[in-house]
Amino acid sequence: MVLVVNEAYDDSPHESPDHPERPGRLQAAASAVHGLRLGSDLIVAPAHRATRAELSRVHDGGYLDELGAYCYGGGGDLDQDTYATYESWTIATLAAGAGLSVIGELQRRGDGVGFVAARPPGHHALRDRAMGFCLLNNVAVAAASLVSQGERVVIVDWDVHHGNGTQQIFWDEPHVLYLSMHQWPLFPGSGGAGEIGGSLALGSVVNVPLPAGATGDVMRRALDEIAAPLVEAFRPTWVLVSAGFDAHYLDPLADLCLSDGDFAAMASCVSRYVSTPGRVAFFLEGGYHLGALQASIAATLSSALGAHYPGERPTSGGPGVEQIATVKAQRLAALESWTRVVRGGASS
Amino acid sequence: MTAIDSIAVGFDGSAESAAAVRWAARAARDVGATLTVLHAAGILERLDAPYSHAVAPDVVATICGEEGLDVAHYHWVLDEADACSALLHCASAPVNAQLLVVGSRGHGKRPGLMIGSVSLEIVQHASVPVVVVPGHPPVPGARRPVSGP
Repeated sequence: MVLVVNEAYDDSPHESPDHPERPGRLQAAASAVHGLRLGSDLIVAPAHRATRAELSRVHDGGYLDELGAYCYGGGGDLDQDTYATYESWTIATLAAGAGLSVIGELQRRGDGVGFVAARPPGHHALRDRAMGFCLLNNVAVAAASLVSQGERVVIVDWDVHHGNGTQQIFWDEPHVLYLSMHQWPLFPGSGGAGEIGGSLALGSVVNVPLPAGATGDVMRRALDEIAAPLVEAFRPTWVLVSAGFDAHYLDPLADLCLSDGDFAAMASCVSRYVSTPGRVAFFLEGGYHLGALQASIAATLSSALGAHYPGERPTSGGPGVEQIATVKAQRLAALESWTRVVRGGASS
Repeated sequence: MTAIDSIAVGFDGSAESAAAVRWAARAARDVGATLTVLHAAGILERLDAPYSHAVAPDVVATICGEEGLDVAHYHWVLDEADACSALLHCASAPVNAQLLVVGSRGHGKRPGLMIGSVSLEIVQHASVPVVVVPGHPPVPGARRPVSGP
């Protein structure tokens, strides 16, 4: 099976001194891909800057105008976490376009696994605001493009932080099923189990908040016991993964305890959510320990490609099982009514 | 107009937010309200935990003491959340603030910019009145809070 990646671009001007969201992250991603030694099975999709029309599916026009002007005015801190530089607008639009390019190549080939190695990350970016290191919501731009083509998209978000931007953007979109597993409480503060989508898509958001110290077995149970029945009812045609790797036990920004072997196991699981070849793509989100990031990306992609990766063993024994049981009971109880909503949405 | 018995103010350690805490402490003292001082930690403070857990509450205690607000009438809340969402949430239970107070600009902002402005976000989305306190008045004697909605 081939791996389709986006063409590398110069992300070095999007940098702030001592900030953990830094160019070295894409170098770690590139090393992970290189280490797979795929030869001719590695396909590079051409670089593409997301257009105004492509971005406007998920972002307000006024926000795009302001962000562009802010960058070309020299940039600076957007909030206590998020920065932009003079070059950030160009780099962010390349990051948002990278997913479109990779998906386009997967569509042309009808086969393969996609990996979007892009920064800045995207899943915190709201319709009208940058936050959490994110300027434009890369995975949302890709998902919205697919929805515009009549596809049904499940977004699995295993970044340690809740993807509040993606959730907001698709809150009332019945053609997108958004599933997030994240540490809670933690930035950005959203992602409670009671947040299940808007009135037009009630049940299309699934949040699994996990306590500090949770291990990979809990996340795998969430995928198997909570997500799988919902995905089966939803019948997605695409699976996009907001693949942050900051749930790794070495990451400095959070307290979950996953190993690279856990990411491999989760990649294998979500790859089975759709049966048609060439319909799974992983989007880089967080992950700030470069060694853990490189190993976890390699493990994820190896597993998605059906290969063995000689990494760490999956973890188990941490807290969080009770939270899984609670969310599972809530969601399965509402499964029948939710299925009616998404089937109605899918036919609209 | 109903009596105000709960006020919430955002604090990020900046001079502007300290001015907001000072204005809110004075207001809480004058109307007999409880003051909630909220610090939204963001992501990066994970790398510098002592700031959010130790230094900032001391600053707040000093300001409240200087403004004559009894220690029983204010409390410090550390929330690992987005600053806008956290302060807006203070209008709901359990805080149930009837007034939100925020500084005009926080850490690292360029004056005059709309993008990234917590105060603007709060004013646009709050369900209760908001007071935006300028940290540095543009002209002497012009230190007047701006309120909305």
